[in-house]
Amino acid sequence: MSSDLGKISDALTKGNVDELKEVVQQALDNDAVPADLLNKGLLPGMEAVGQKWKNGEMFMPEVLRCAKAMSGAMDILRPRLAKEDLGSAGKMVIGTVSGDLHDIGKDLAAMMFEGAGYEVVNIGIDQPNEKFVEAAKEHKPTLLGMSALLTTTMPRMGEVINSLKEAGIRDQMAVIIGGAPVTQEFAEEIGADIYAPNAGSAVDLAREYFESKA
Amino acid sequence: MSVRTNYTVYESPRLQILSEDQKEKILNGMMRTLQYTGAHVHHEKARELFKKAGCKVDGVTVYFPPEVILKALSTVPPVTEVFPWDGNKEKKVVVEKNRSYFGPGPTPPNFIDTDTMERRKYLRKDANIVARVCDALPNIGFVQSLGSISDVTNDLADVYEFADMVRNTTTPIMSWSFTREGCRDIHRIAIAMAGGEEEFRQRPNYIFYGEPISPLVSDFHAIDKCMYCAENRIPQVYSPCAIGGGTVPATHAGQLVVALSESMVGVIAAQLINPGTCVIIGGVQSILDMRYSIYSYGAPELSLLSSALTEVVQYCGLPMYSQSGCTDTKKMDMQSALEASLSINAAMMSGANFVHDNGYTESGLTGDVFQTVMDDELISMARVIERSFDVNKETLSVDVIDSVGPGGHYLYEDHTMKWFRTYWMPTLMDRNSYEGWVEEGRKTMKDRIIEKTRDLIDNYEGPRGKVPAQADKEIERILQEAEKRAKESESK
Ligand code: B1M
Repeated sequence: MSSDLGKISDALTKGNVDELKEVVQQALDNDAVPADLLNKGLLPGMEAVGQKWKNGEMFMPEVLRCAKAMSGAMDILRPRLAKEDLGSAGKMVIGTVSGDLHDIGKDLAAMMFEGAGYEVVNIGIDQPNEKFVEAAKEHKPTLLGMSALLTTTMPRMGEVINSLKEAGIRDQMAVIIGGAPVTQEFAEEIGADIYAPNAGSAVDLAREYFESKA
Repeated sequence: MSVRTNYTVYESPRLQILSEDQKEKILNGMMRTLQYTGAHVHHEKARELFKKAGCKVDGVTVYFPPEVILKALSTVPPVTEVFPWDGNKEKKVVVEKNRSYFGPGPTPPNFIDTDTMERRKYLRKDANIVARVCDALPNIGFVQSLGSISDVTNDLADVYEFADMVRNTTTPIMSWSFTREGCRDIHRIAIAMAGGEEEFRQRPNYIFYGEPISPLVSDFHAIDKCMYCAENRIPQVYSPCAIGGGTVPATHAGQLVVALSESMVGVIAAQLINPGTCVIIGGVQSILDMRYSIYSYGAPELSLLSSALTEVVQYCGLPMYSQSGCTDTKKMDMQSALEASLSINAAMMSGANFVHDNGYTESGLTGDVFQTVMDDELISMARVIERSFDVNKETLSVDVIDSVGPGGHYLYEDHTMKWFRTYWMPTLMDRNSYEGWVEEGRKTMKDRIIEKTRDLIDNYEGPRGKVPAQADKEIERILQEAEKRAKESESK
């Protein structure tokens, strides 16, 4: 078991996507406890990656590769995990709002959440308000993320929140927003739960938020 | 008699990064990309246009064979002139190889308030300030707003900006818009300033700026605006903000291939619609900072990439839209000055035609007209190096060297009288003695920049008073109509 965990964290921190899938599958075949693979293997691995990033020993593309590996492993693991095992890392719907074509910041945030164990549905750029609401109804996420890079498209985020309220599903999920011109003030104004100034901090801020609600 | 033979003269030095072979390789990389990978064009009419010209179209993907690209390149104009609306010849912009103009950049959300020096949202009054300050600065050759106006009807920030700026500067403006409608309003304003449609055709007075999306996408509005400009023969920029390692490959050569390819889509569309219409390409070329995930405006790679792309773009026979004078720092400090001086010098030596973003801070998120004022001085310094000097009988000065001889000095010489005024004179840099500096209030560079900027804001009137009453009236009418349209589309 502990050698499985060692292999897992090794493949994860190296960002070896295929290898990680293999070792996770092998461990499961050897009757490892799925929650242990997550809590003692993958999550501490990602924690170490995050730390190295903060220390300037690892950089964005490397972190994203690890996140991708994590996400692949989670695809295998998720069906075998109980809801409680996942902690705050649930399902996320994320997209860039209507009229806005900027996608890389949103993609970075999406990948970071995948790295934290979230199941992420990335609905893309220039998504009309209804699409966010539809996706929220369909996927029942614990977290809804919106990105806007234009001051002219920022108001769409408030409109989506209102639509979620009208649809009676606002309190079923937390809403996180980000993008270059977005501010904490604006987030409060429109009633978003979390504002993330960058993709790196977004995951931590979401965790803190869920912990404060728990 | 002695005769000089085979004497080579360099008029001005040049930063050269690529060899002919390397330029050709990058050009061919573009040809291969456009032919085999293709580009997305989210515009049915544009796709039809390309198809008719011989491109393969599959869904939204258009594949451009080399002959279509080469044909487009064969009709781009070697020279286009852009005229200040008041007829001032000094400020005429000539889009032509070996001519360079520096200016600010478009649309950041924030601005450094010129009174409080604090960062806040960009307001309508700021467009007026930027226009007037740039009008006064001798080394600013074209004007952009350094912000997007937040205190007018949301969808009309582009139109208000142009309406206000064009009346406060005669230096040609590089405008932008959200959609074709904004484009049309801006164009009508420009026509009003030119004194009529025919007058505009003879003497276009602005350049339009639009952007495709890296990698290899022309969204509907971008290509739609490009087509509008071509139809109306408005000189235009069609260039991406390519993010190295993010939206384009992490290798510089790969970045240039992608950036060149997506711009070429606009060049081809414009040349098909109206052969000979002016298209400028290039764009923001820098890298994603892999630690903080920002698009870096102070990176040395910005200068390297922009200079190299300048060579490739000019190799294609096109004018280059480059950048300099920008910074990742948040406040006017040593970093802003260091990054700006490096990039301004590189851009100057590269020979790019239009060099924008002079006045961008916080990685392009905050416009700072104080930075533009500082950059103005740096541009004039870089020009000194670029202009180089003549080596001929007169300047070799052998006669005067002989007449002064060893020892002595040159201060009284006619030769000195004749030439010393060619030395560059600072307007901001301090060269005072220590005592003189103390006497004048121990001012730092920052103090002097603030003083000069505020003096211009308070005392430089600009051309507002010269705007013909007829044009003024027409502009107000266009703004009212735009407001009406915005209200209607909101209520829909
Ligand atoms: C849900 O949870 C979260 C959590 C965190 C989240 C999050 C979601 N979303 C983002 N974050 C956060 O985490 C990320 C990583 O840390 C960060 O994401 P960012 O996206 O901020 O950071 C990225 C990693 C890197 N940064 C970027 O990707 C953006 C860089 C800049 C230069 C930029 C780019 C590249 C582009 N642009 Co645009 N563009 C600018 C940008 C200026 C700038 N310096 O930001 C900005 C945003 N653009 C602007 C403008 C005006 C425009 N752009 C336009 C187009 C484009 C391109 C297509 C050319 C290109 C996008 C290409 C692409 N594939 O995405 C046009 C609009 C198109 C449209 N309808 O959307 C156009 C209108 C220009 C025109 N005339 O057509 C300006 C906005 C001004 C304003 N008032 O809002 C702008 C500030 C540029 C400027 N200096 O003027 C955080 O914000």
